[in-house]
Amino acid sequence: MAFKTLSKSEKSYIQASLQAQQPLRGDGRSLHQFRSVTLQTGVAPIANGSSLLNLGRSSDESIGGTEILAAAKLEVEDIGPASSGVEGGRIACVVSCSPAAYSYLPAAALDDLQHDYSTVLHAVFSHASLRPPSLGIIPGRKAWLLTLDLMVLSDAGNVYDALFMAARAALWDTHVPRTRAVEYRRGIGGKAKDDNDMDVDPESHSGLDTRSKPLATDFELEDSWDEGPVLGGRDAWPVCITLNLFPGLHFLDATTQEEAAAPIRLLLVYSFSAKSPAAALHGMHLLGVGNVDLAQVESLVKEGEKYALDIYTALNAKLKDEELRRTDKARLKFSSVR
Amino acid sequence: MSLLGLSGPKLTLKHLSTILLMIISFFPPPSLSSVSRGVTGHPPDMDEGNDDNIYMDGDDDFGAETAKITSPGESITSARAFMRGHGTYVDSDEVIASVAGVIERVNKLITVRALRTRYSPEVGDLVIGRITEVQPRRWKVDANARQDAVLMLSSVNLPGGVQRRKLESDELQMRNFFQEGDLLVAEVQAFFADGAMSLHTRSLKYGKLRNGQLVSVPPILIRRLKSHFCSLPSGVDLILGLNGYIWISKHVRNNEKEGHEGFDAEAVYSNQNDDIDDATRTAIARVSNIIRVLASRSVPITDSIALEAYEWTVEQDVDVKDLLLEDVADALVAAVTKEPSEQW
Repeated sequence: MAFKTLSKSEKSYIQASLQAQQPLRGDGRSLHQFRSVTLQTGVAPIANGSSLLNLGRSSDESIGGTEILAAAKLEVEDIGPASSGVEGGRIACVVSCSPAAYSYLPAAALDDLQHDYSTVLHAVFSHASLRPPSLGIIPGRKAWLLTLDLMVLSDAGNVYDALFMAARAALWDTHVPRTRAVEYRRGIGGKAKDDNDMDVDPESHSGLDTRSKPLATDFELEDSWDEGPVLGGRDAWPVCITLNLFPGLHFLDATTQEEAAAPIRLLLVYSFSAKSPAAALHGMHLLGVGNVDLAQVESLVKEGEKYALDIYTALNAKLKDEELRRTDKARLKFSSVR
Repeated sequence: MSLLGLSGPKLTLKHLSTILLMIISFFPPPSLSSVSRGVTGHPPDMDEGNDDNIYMDGDDDFGAETAKITSPGESITSARAFMRGHGTYVDSDEVIASVAGVIERVNKLITVRALRTRYSPEVGDLVIGRITEVQPRRWKVDANARQDAVLMLSSVNLPGGVQRRKLESDELQMRNFFQEGDLLVAEVQAFFADGAMSLHTRSLKYGKLRNGQLVSVPPILIRRLKSHFCSLPSGVDLILGLNGYIWISKHVRNNEKEGHEGFDAEAVYSNQNDDIDDATRTAIARVSNIIRVLASRSVPITDSIALEAYEWTVEQDVDVKDLLLEDVADALVAAVTKEPSEQW
């Protein structure tokens, strides 16, 4: 249930409960406790990778919680001055909000909200430091454009964390079809290899050849559209943690009401890798009115890293589970057909 | 046998022996199966012939006319003899339900009342609403209905006496009474021509809400009760709005509510919370979680069920946050819903 505004007494009740000797939240959680998260990958059949995430709903309920649907779709883009493609591929991130989730908002306000979410996610996910290695097709000619679409189906607070988790799951689930470059060669005298006019280059590592521009002009797909190796560097996809700040304390995973009562929210985006235990801070965003000391931010960044690592480990475990579940299902289906 | 499992009375040793005696006296050679049947399901004073009545008793709770539940796409009746109403459509001469709900018939008109829907108000209902807009001489109130409700300036208690004409100065300071976001408890007074409801707070029971938090549940789970104000032990008050909004707050004694001269405007329209100690806050959080659990399992919420559930959680020494765990929630619902059969 979403609330446009809180009454003054509700707000002060929430604030007083949080700042009491023993902080207490409306649903009895401790300050740094998350609500339960449910996650499923592979929910959109025509996307290359997708996920459905719910934050804060128990399995017996049919509604409630923050629900996010994320889908990644690959498109081929030309690289060149006329088109928007980028060498090595690019990622575009768009968040849309279901009007049903924000029925109290007028259309213009909903647009603003979508724009805010999109800006934050796009800035993080499309950054060059996170670009996966396997999005190029033909150097200088063609590359994949990965469109990551997210939909907020319902809002029960903490949308940013949920959006990042869903996005990470969808990208984790994304498979990129293998491509093979196709090269056209002019038959000049005896220089042409054999009788073939067309030669198929098995490995398109022509980047080593610095003497001439690569000749590959087109490509063919080795895999069908939903197969292929997973998108590279998927361990690095970031997680977001929102710290809701009060003087002297912070709490995680706020409900809508708590969000309305907390004056400042600090979004911290971390990326981890399997090799090194250190986290990389990929983004920081301060929401709300008020100011925070730099010294305080420093300590919060350290604190946030711990929470983010927890989310990261839990999410990875769940995603691996999901992969197993889905391969098992596919195997069963296959064996039953045979 | 499954039929017998419906009611599971607690049987003491004394009961057991009476049953055995009865069975022996009714059926001189008692077979093993009949003994076990008697123990699992039969109330002590019922013999074999009354099996069907167990079913009938269950049905009678819904009233003389049994409610018929339908689901979308289900054919209800012929369209030649009946007219389609809300929640139905006609396809190839048949009236078909378009929502899941209860079938209702008025003469020739068939309607289906949806189970999951917004609140449909009736005059006299107690509702909890939130001010969304302040307009000339009226407030718009969100009451979980299809349209916003209206609270007229003339239907609130004004400071300086319950019975007095509203003045221009009152119009100018409407935000001192209620402003955007404020929660209030009110009664449905009448309907406007467009179907929007008009509320009134002309009673000391009604007015602005403070000292607590709101939980929202599907409106269908709130039944009409004798009183929608109930107080639980350990100082928690509960207001069950028929529109599915439930207000859980610190207990306020009745004489305090009235103030010194019957009506204390400053107290009624105050935005300040009283001092609430940690124990009361915990109790409020506990009741909120109980309501959430009951709503998630579609248990109708009444004062007695809320009280029972509260006592159960205190008895079992369940931590507030553990209430939202699946198994604890299931145990709570099982404990609360099996109660009626245990009464005898």
